[in-house]
Amino acid sequence: MTVDLQPRRFPDAGALWFVVSVVGSVGGGWLTQEAGRRYVNPPPGGVAMLLAGLTSILLAGFAAWKLARAGVYSWLLPLAAVNLLLLQPGRAGDVRTWRLEWGVMGLAWTLAAVLVFARLLRRSDELERRLHLEGAFVALTVGLVGSVVYALFETRLPELRGQWVAVALLLSWWVGTLATARRYRWRA
Amino acid sequence: MRNRLRVLRAERDWSQAELAEALRVSRQTVNAIENERYDPSLPLAFTIARVFHLRIEDVFTPDAAPPPPPEEPRVRP
Repeated sequence: MTVDLQPRRFPDAGALWFVVSVVGSVGGGWLTQEAGRRYVNPPPGGVAMLLAGLTSILLAGFAAWKLARAGVYSWLLPLAAVNLLLLQPGRAGDVRTWRLEWGVMGLAWTLAAVLVFARLLRRSDELERRLHLEGAFVALTVGLVGSVVYALFETRLPELRGQWVAVALLLSWWVGTLATARRYRWRA
Repeated sequence: MRNRLRVLRAERDWSQAELAEALRVSRQTVNAIENERYDPSLPLAFTIARVFHLRIEDVFTPDAAPPPPPEEPRVRP
């Protein structure tokens, strides 16, 4: 009987590139926004800050691309969720341009991650699609149960933001996929 | 469903990756089928049989024993 002697990939390669991508997008977003917010009265090293931010964003994009190339694109779901948390257009102050910048930054990452995820899912095989389908079912169940529980205690709970719901759905989809993958001994 | 995928693959000295490439699925899917954690769809099962030049029932067998054939109706003499 033959034994598969294929080179084993670093098991946490997905986690590593995920962390790089999150740090890159969060850090890069913060640096560019800070540099841009003070463009009228730029601080010393403002241009360097802007360049560092743009480099971080490029690095985050490269890490996301590595996730997709390594076939561990399930990590794009939590990546989309984390970047959606960054979407805080209200923090940009009254300058309309930067309000748009704050809004677009998180949203662009989330949309890109979800679109790439959907594109890769279309090219996957039947078991892989099944994993994500079952994961989505978990997310839907969590969403439904959570909504009903929230409705029951609506008066005593803080106001629910749509952003949190979207983040919770993305994360529960990812967790559901991981749980299903474990059942099939699949490395998601 | 039981299958002889691992034995058939070993007889041909194929790796999981080579079989996966022939079937156009991922290596992990081949692994899941071999370990009987996943029953492939009918089209994939037919493709697997075709790759090995076998009939589908030579590769896959149902878990439970097949039901007995229906009894012949008794004919009164």
